[in-house]
Amino acid sequence: MGYWRDDYFLWGRRRSSVPREAKGGIKAQSKHGTFGESWWAKRWIAVLESFNIGARLGRGRSYARRGQVLSIEIEKGEVLAKVQGSRPKPYHIKLEIKTLSVSDWRKLAKILSGQAIFSAKLLMGEMPLDIEKVFREAGLSLFPEKPKDLKTACSCPDWSNPCKHIAAVYYLLAEEFERDPFLIFKLRGMNREDLIHMLSGTDKKTIRKQVKPKQKTLPNEEEGLTSDISKFWNGESLPDDFFGEVRIPSIAAALPKRLGSFPFWRGEEKFLDVMELIYAKASSVGLKVFLGEQMWKEQI
Amino acid sequence: MIILHATFLERVFSLWGEKPDEPEVSAAKKPKNKLKHRQAKPVSLCYDAGAEKLSLVLKEIGLGFKVTAKSIRPMVAWLPTIDNQPVPSSRLIGEFPESTTQATLAPWKVTVVQFPFEKGIEFLCRCIGKQTLGPGMIVGKDLSFWTMALRFAGAVATKGQFLPDINDLHGIPQARWRSFLSGLESERLSNLAKLIPAVARALSLKDASSPTVSSITLLSEFIDSAVDYLIRSTGRDDFEHALTAKRRSLKAMDGFYSSHDQWLHALRSHDGRMEGKSAELDQLTNHLKNWIRPISVSAASPFRLCFRVEEPDDGNDKWYVRYLLQANHDPSLLIPAERVWKGREILPLANKNFNSHEYLLLSLGQASGICPHIEASLRTPGPSGYRLDAKGAYEFLTQKASTLEQSGFGVMLPAWWTRKGTKLRLNARAHVKTPEMQSRSGLSLDQIVQFDWEVALGSEKLSFEELQKLAKFKAPLVKVRGQWVLLDAEEIQAVIQSWKKKAMEQTTLREVVRMALGGEKGLGNIPVEGISASGWIANLFKELEGKSPFQELPQPRAFQGTLRPYQRRGYSWLSFLRQWGLGACLADDMGLGKTIQALALIQKDWESGERRPVLLICPTSVVNNWQKEASRFTPEIPVMVHHGIERTKGEAFTAEAKEHAIIISSYALLNRDVETFKDLQWAGVILDEAQNIKNPETKQARAARVIQAGYRIALTGTPVENNVGDLWSIMEFLNAGLLGTQTEFKNRFFIPIQAARDPEASERLKRLTGPFILRRLKTDKTIINDLPEKMEMKVFCTLTKEQASLYEAVVKETMEALDETEGIQRKGVVLATLLKLKQVCNHPAHFLGDHSPIPSRSGKLTRLTEMAEEMVEVGDHALIFTQFSEMGAILQKHLQEIFGREVLFLHGGTPKKHRDQMVERFQAQEDAPFLFILSLKAGGTGLNLTRANHVFHFDRWWNPAVENQATDRAFRIGQKKKVEVHKFICAGTLEEKIDEMIERKKEVAERVIGTGEAWLTELSTAELKNLFSLRKEAIGD
Repeated sequence: MGYWRDDYFLWGRRRSSVPREAKGGIKAQSKHGTFGESWWAKRWIAVLESFNIGARLGRGRSYARRGQVLSIEIEKGEVLAKVQGSRPKPYHIKLEIKTLSVSDWRKLAKILSGQAIFSAKLLMGEMPLDIEKVFREAGLSLFPEKPKDLKTACSCPDWSNPCKHIAAVYYLLAEEFERDPFLIFKLRGMNREDLIHMLSGTDKKTIRKQVKPKQKTLPNEEEGLTSDISKFWNGESLPDDFFGEVRIPSIAAALPKRLGSFPFWRGEEKFLDVMELIYAKASSVGLKVFLGEQMWKEQI
Repeated sequence: MIILHATFLERVFSLWGEKPDEPEVSAAKKPKNKLKHRQAKPVSLCYDAGAEKLSLVLKEIGLGFKVTAKSIRPMVAWLPTIDNQPVPSSRLIGEFPESTTQATLAPWKVTVVQFPFEKGIEFLCRCIGKQTLGPGMIVGKDLSFWTMALRFAGAVATKGQFLPDINDLHGIPQARWRSFLSGLESERLSNLAKLIPAVARALSLKDASSPTVSSITLLSEFIDSAVDYLIRSTGRDDFEHALTAKRRSLKAMDGFYSSHDQWLHALRSHDGRMEGKSAELDQLTNHLKNWIRPISVSAASPFRLCFRVEEPDDGNDKWYVRYLLQANHDPSLLIPAERVWKGREILPLANKNFNSHEYLLLSLGQASGICPHIEASLRTPGPSGYRLDAKGAYEFLTQKASTLEQSGFGVMLPAWWTRKGTKLRLNARAHVKTPEMQSRSGLSLDQIVQFDWEVALGSEKLSFEELQKLAKFKAPLVKVRGQWVLLDAEEIQAVIQSWKKKAMEQTTLREVVRMALGGEKGLGNIPVEGISASGWIANLFKELEGKSPFQELPQPRAFQGTLRPYQRRGYSWLSFLRQWGLGACLADDMGLGKTIQALALIQKDWESGERRPVLLICPTSVVNNWQKEASRFTPEIPVMVHHGIERTKGEAFTAEAKEHAIIISSYALLNRDVETFKDLQWAGVILDEAQNIKNPETKQARAARVIQAGYRIALTGTPVENNVGDLWSIMEFLNAGLLGTQTEFKNRFFIPIQAARDPEASERLKRLTGPFILRRLKTDKTIINDLPEKMEMKVFCTLTKEQASLYEAVVKETMEALDETEGIQRKGVVLATLLKLKQVCNHPAHFLGDHSPIPSRSGKLTRLTEMAEEMVEVGDHALIFTQFSEMGAILQKHLQEIFGREVLFLHGGTPKKHRDQMVERFQAQEDAPFLFILSLKAGGTGLNLTRANHVFHFDRWWNPAVENQATDRAFRIGQKKKVEVHKFICAGTLEEKIDEMIERKKEVAERVIGTGEAWLTELSTAELKNLFSLRKEAIGD
């Protein structure tokens, strides 16, 4: 019985503002201040803040930072999310955004392909600074502007819409857009791949045959063993300069850096910092092994 | 004897081995299990090494892995088989079947020891660059291949070509590191896969069919696992350390804040295991896929983006960086960007699914972050490159190019930039004020000299004012009279600053020499291009750099015999460096007489009044040889051997040593008696076979560096200058500090040369060490004319303690018997004794006939092994003659085990067919065995073995004619090289005494001695006693 009372007591106390602790929720990268560094993330937030929902903004921010948002799924024209509030059962949230028509997208693509930088930046995962100008040129807008372009709903008892839960999702979306700006396009009804193909001028048919990212080019076909006695036992000898030049790169973790920060990162340590440390050590260990130093392990 | 083989299957290292069918397999014997009918179940391989032998190997190399019943597993290996008979990997294991039918693959049961991947990596580390792991433990070609694969993984880790990932291992998520190779590296990997010996894939988990896993799959899996392991091994301690107390308690609760924390932890944990809610992990996996996507696109691409710098035509300021796609498989296949923008054309050899347009855009987008010019160029629909001014070009060449290259892009720079010496830049020159020369003998490198700095651009000298003007120059890249000039503003400033501070400097002449050889940077850290000096200092530099000949000295007055012209040059060179207190490494080919050249130097010093002794350190096996050579060539100078248990120590040693010119001792004693040696003022210290100190950490290397001496000389027959790793220790002994500290040397030379293959670093090292290393080859044109067609040398060897006591026991027994017998019986005793003593001199196991262990028990064998090692290094071939086929067998076994290569052995029992095969293989086969042992009787006549340029007479036959006839197997028509004949003699034993007798009456020898040893039986008892008795000098350590 004591258990029930404690629980009741806690529940009662938390009810006003403190939600239940959520393990493994999506934690915002931003620890204080604004969400997202990029202008497009800021533009997205500005849409939310234009709704004038008062203190709910601040609570939404702290929800986002504490990891109360358990999941976010982004589809064409809608976002579905779960948020851990003060009740045991998480709330369900839905955002609906008006998608653009195919002909609108065609118009956009034509303008965008005038400068290679647009496609390059988008492929890189960056939103070109002047993309909004392009939208305006086409007589469109990237972000929802009219209230009817954006519908939000939450299963919480709060009468306000948007509520703090919606706000929390909104903030996290800002960070997500920062990582992958194509998600904004997805919300507006256009897949990444389809857009790229539109931009590079390839027609609809080739869109279906687009590049599938392969993990590795491993020919998996079977290969029998040779019965040539010398080849069987000895193989062939390595040319002297086989390995080419092996140097420790002057920039550690160049590959992860080329890829940028990890999406929805929730770890305590900063991802790229840890990578840099590991790559630097891997270089020195790798070089020792390459040079055939037996004691490489002892010297770490 | 065991040949080791290995495979990696499912992240487990599987080791197995071949051994000869029977311990004493005779040449003609066939393997046991020749099957009449192929049976359904695989049969045990007759060559299978078995668990016991494998455990022994693992124990021997100290891997710290105990073989248990669990780790032993019978497996099936699919091996080449002819007529149901397995074909071994080498003739060391067994004879190849004689049938002419083609081999087919058949399953054989072998014993495999399996151990965890990390132990496998450790094992491979021990095999890198080795042919044997110890006597009789031979690294198979497949095992060698895996060491190369491991080095490949090391290179991948070094270059950072990997990314974190998540793997599903039998339903358990596992954090893993995965290699992501650039196109070029993938190409390299598939080339490596083509070289894999099939035996590396021969083990099968199922016996029904031969393994079909492809080479590239197997290799990629190995590389991935090895890279994963290498990275994992770096992080653990560090991570534990970084855990805050809070997180540690969280961990105890089996909780991480998020799947991301858990992932980062697992990436550095032992096995990478991850637990937790699958939904959350799925989400992480999805994010990971998205994140990695751009690289996957690049990795799958058959092309890479490449930047080509195009210089202006006529010296104007219009540079251009052009964008091209470069094919990985053929770097010369370049497709300009405009062609990609223009068409939907399928690029040659590109996959149909490869979207070159998207790929180019993506790559340019990635590169635009590195270089803003690229970003700016992308403002057009289809950029083909961008323009640059000289400043931009300079920045691109000096900085951007390497950054782009490291990020995986191709970079093509103008040839004048990449080639050395084709562009001008600032350099420093020092003008040394040459002090008055008092007398040549009073000069030393410790003398303080003054010098001025001069700064030049290329070869044009600059004044201070001109330099300041240059600093204001805007364009860092200027074409002057057709040559590009580099002007680095920061560098110029640094030079100006240090020039202001110290235009005039003073330092020791030794430092100036180091600077002249490029061992130090000059003013403001710019390269020193030259040191100008006048008078004797100028001469010294010229002589050191070989630009002018050093003074050639006459042969010392009392030197016996005649120095060959190149030997006189060598000895003069030693004397020249000696005079300046500089250490010298004489690295002449074996047989050119390094000993004689060193002795000539000592003799010369002795004649000019030097009375301090020279310390000569050599391997125990050649102590006697040195003594003999000294008494032959420099009989005037007193030689002392510091050796054996009765050697003097402390003050007694000092007193005795002062009475001698040369003190000969061994490496073992150098270390043990270093305190004794340290107290003496040595005229010089000479290390023979100086490769003995190649490892600077060894006790003898440390001891060698401690000894104080007027000069230092290293003698070695191995090409030291080719082995960068071994060079530091020898040079540090010779000229301390010349190559910097060991760490400096590693960073400045070893790593750039060995890993980055930097030709400038090799060039610098060569320039810096060149003046101190003299290596002449027998094949050099200037040498070859000085040499006779055939050189005969006596090699004086020592007896081991065991040999000496056996020898004395035999002598004692004989003396008693001689007193009691006469007539035929006495003759029998004499002949039996002769036989026994010769056997003892050869090897205790030869005398005892007990198949006891071979290594380290015979002085002759030790010396033969050492000499054979030098021959392997330079690729020579040799014949080894012995009178005893028992000894031949011992030699064959030992040499095969040491070198891990087949050694031929022809004796009376060899069938004619085999005999012909051996001769043919030795003469004609491309990778023929380099040693051929022959019994004197069976191989001494008739054969033509001109492939050999060395002939060893391991034991002596008293008739020189018989020996000469044997020598002529190699020294005959068809021989294109000089032949060296090495006659082994155990000093102080009857071998030496008989040799002396033969030498004394050479002309009558043949007549007197006839063809046998019978004449010895005619000697009186007193004469025999004298003949048999052992002189003290005979014994080694």
